[in-house]
Amino acid sequence: MKNLSNLDRVIHEPARLTLVALLSSVKSANFLFLLKESELTKGNLSVHLTRLEEAGYVEAEKTFRGKIPHTEYRLTAKGKAAFEQYRKSLGSIFNKE
Amino acid sequence: MNLQIDTTIKRTRAYWFVDGFTEMATGGFFILLAGILLLRWNTSLTSSPSRFLSIAGEISIAKFFGFLIIVLVLWWLKDRFTYPRTGFVRGNRITTAQILILIRNIVLFLLLPILGLLALSLMIASAGSVLSSMPVWFPIGVALIWAVLCIWAGNWMGLRRFQIIGALFLLAGIKVGIWQYVMGLPASPENMQAGILQLATMDILYRSLTSLGLLVLIAGVILILSGFVTFLRYRKENPTPYSEDV
Repeated sequence: MKNLSNLDRVIHEPARLTLVALLSSVKSANFLFLLKESELTKGNLSVHLTRLEEAGYVEAEKTFRGKIPHTEYRLTAKGKAAFEQYRKSLGSIFNKE
Repeated sequence: MNLQIDTTIKRTRAYWFVDGFTEMATGGFFILLAGILLLRWNTSLTSSPSRFLSIAGEISIAKFFGFLIIVLVLWWLKDRFTYPRTGFVRGNRITTAQILILIRNIVLFLLLPILGLLALSLMIASAGSVLSSMPVWFPIGVALIWAVLCIWAGNWMGLRRFQIIGALFLLAGIKVGIWQYVMGLPASPENMQAGILQLATMDILYRSLTSLGLLVLIAGVILILSGFVTFLRYRKENPTPYSEDV
């Protein structure tokens, strides 16, 4: 029970978990990639990204590609550590008898 | 849930290959190399050893410029076709530690077993017969290395088509090896006089390079076909660029 309560609530939410997993294997990705891969709506994606930004797990960088605004998201060191910890915690829940 | 996380991570890793451009470009590059290997050998008028060096030089130049052109073309194509449809991803920078682990694994699990097999064959058979059978085992060995790398990459990225490509590479290598065997092996260079020895060695080299050229050609065609099918599927799923500014 203690292991379950130790799970990171920010990452544990399925949509945010998907976003963190997507960002974990790349340096950064833009909004469109996350939108397509997560299959969330634009509004939902924005809300979840903001929640992850507030937790310090994700940071956004706004730039321009030509004249088009371009926002790239990346996992912070804190986000990476939290994701690794989450995976370990999840593993330990199922491995313990 | 953890399994789904792994699937998501693998899907992201495979994003570079989502549109089929990389396979098509690599396939085209392979066909260029095969062209040099198969055609230049027969059209060159210089003597055999210098011919060999000349081809080696041309391949090095083709590799350098080919790689450069592929990177530029892929960057241009992805920027105009893929990123507006399914988004932009910046890959992780490969660390020195990751490169060292990859090299270690290739040496331990691929090169050492192959060298071991070669050493074993040298113990069983004479050096001359191992050398004369090079047109048979060389393409099979190269195809085996490619197959292992493709299957490993397919597993790492969750791309089944890479595993199929790996299996096809191996089959192509075996097919080329069998074809060379059926044609008859070159004369063994053992106990030959110096002048004839050079001719025999050049014949073995010629046959081995022909084998390699054929294998590279088949591999190029396989990659282009695979890339084209992937491209058609990608275009069907993403017919137009994403319309809203994001």
